[in-house]
Amino acid sequence: MTVIAAPRTDGRLPALRVTASETGKGLRLMWRRRAMLLTGAVAQGFTYLMIEFLVGGGHLNHAVLALTLPAYFAFSLAATAALQGSGGIAEEVNGGTLEQSHLSPARPSLLMADRLAALATEGLLPAAAVTAAFWAGYGVRYQVRPDVLVPLLLTITDALAYALLMTALTLAIASIGAVVHVFNMAVMFFGGMFVPAAVFPHGVEIFARFIPTTLGAQVLNTTLAGRPLSAAWADGTLPWLLAHAAVLSALAWMLYLYTLRRARREGGLSPR
Amino acid sequence: MTRFCVSLGGEVRKGLLFAWAERLQILLELPFFALFILLLGPLLGAGNQIAAGRVSWALHSSRTSLLLLAFVPALVFYFQAVKLFWRLLAEIQAGTLEQVCLSPLPSWLVAAAGRLVAALAETVLVVAAIYGIISAFVPLRYAWNPAALLPAAALIVTGTGYSLIIGGMTLVWKRIQLLQEGFLLLVMVFTAAAYLTAGILAFRLGERTARTRGTLARY
Repeated sequence: MTVIAAPRTDGRLPALRVTASETGKGLRLMWRRRAMLLTGAVAQGFTYLMIEFLVGGGHLNHAVLALTLPAYFAFSLAATAALQGSGGIAEEVNGGTLEQSHLSPARPSLLMADRLAALATEGLLPAAAVTAAFWAGYGVRYQVRPDVLVPLLLTITDALAYALLMTALTLAIASIGAVVHVFNMAVMFFGGMFVPAAVFPHGVEIFARFIPTTLGAQVLNTTLAGRPLSAAWADGTLPWLLAHAAVLSALAWMLYLYTLRRARREGGLSPR
Repeated sequence: MTRFCVSLGGEVRKGLLFAWAERLQILLELPFFALFILLLGPLLGAGNQIAAGRVSWALHSSRTSLLLLAFVPALVFYFQAVKLFWRLLAEIQAGTLEQVCLSPLPSWLVAAAGRLVAALAETVLVVAAIYGIISAFVPLRYAWNPAALLPAAALIVTGTGYSLIIGGMTLVWKRIQLLQEGFLLLVMVFTAAAYLTAGILAFRLGERTARTRGTLARY
C-alpha cells in the first residue's frame, strides 16, 4: 500500500497564499470592470453636483459644498463597497463558486477580511478621486492637519462595516440587491450629502446619527474647519463615532460569520 | 394567439409573485420615501440658510404637492429598472435566461411584461401610502383631471424603455449595479422622454451581442 502524505494545512503559508489570491481576485475583477466603475463614479459625482445645484437655488453654494463634500466621500465609499459586496457575493452564490472558496484551508473570517480589502480598494479609489477633483476644482478651503486622519479612518471603518453588513444580508435575504439601493439612498440623504445633518430637526438628526456615515462626516467637518479633535470630543460627536464604528463593525463581522455558517448548514452557498 | 396570451400571463404572474416576495422591501421604502419628500421641500433653494446653520422647516402645501408629483416618475423608473436589473442578473447567473428565447414572445417583451405590471402595482401601492403619510403632515392639493392619464401613460412607456436600456446593458456587461444606481439617480434629477424606442433597441442590441458571443447563460 502506498501512502501519500497530505499537504499541511495548518501552517500560515497556505492561509497567506489564500489571502493574497482572494484579494488579488477582487482587484483583478475591479480592473476588468474599470469602465463601469469609472462611469458609475462620474454619475455619482454628477448627481451630487445636481443636488447641490438644487439646494443652492440654481447655483452652487461653496459654503454648503464645503460642508457636504466629506459626506459625499463617505457616501461614495459606502455605496460602492455595499453594492459591489452584495453583487459580488450574489454572483458567487448563483454561480456556485462561493462553496469552492470555502473549501480552502483559510478560516472564513480570513476570507472575509480579504473580500473586505478588495471592496475597500474598489470603494476608496473612485470616492477619493472624485472628492479630490471637486475639492481642487471648486477651490474648497479646508484646514488639513494630521488629526483629520482620526475621523477619516473611523469613517472608512464605518462605511466598510456597512458594506459588510449588506454583504452578510445578501446571504440571508433574497432580493437584497434592490434593498441595498434603498439603504444607499438613506445614507445619501441622512448621511449629510444633501445638507449637513446638524441642520435637520432635532429628532431627525438623532435618527440620522444611526446612519453609517453621518457621525464620520460631522467629525470630519469639525476637523476640516480647523477646530481640534477636542472640540468634536466635547460636543459628543467623536465618542459617538468611536462607539458607532466599533458596534457596527462587530455587528457586521458577527452577522457575516453567522449567515455564512447558516448558509453552509442549509445549503445556501449555492443556488437554491 | 393563445400561446402568446398564456406566455404573457405567465410572465405577469411571475412578476407579481416576485413583487409579493419583496414586500419587506416596500415596508422599508415607505417611511423613507415619505420622510425624504417631507424634508426635501424646505431644503430646496435654502443654500444660504444651510451655510448659516439654520433652516426653516415650515412645510408648504404647494411645494410638497409638487415634490410628491415629481417623485412619482422617479418611483416608476426605480421599481421598473432596479428590479428588472437584479432579476435579469440572477437569471443570467443561474443560467435560466436562455429559456426566455424559447418563448413565443419577443425576448424584450418577456423581460418587460412581468415587471411592468408588478412595478405598476408596487408604484400605485407605495404612492398611495406615501400620499396618506404626507397628507397627515401637510395638506396636498391636486386638481384631478382625466387628461393626466396621458402623461401618466407616457411615463410608464418611458420607464419601461429606460429599464430595457439597463436590461440590454446587463446582458452584455452583467455586473453593472454601480452604473445602474448612478444612472437612476441622474434620471431622478433629469426625467427625460423617448426612452422606449431607445430601450427596445438597446435591449435587442445587448441580446444579439450576448447570443453572438454565446454568453447569454455564461457569467
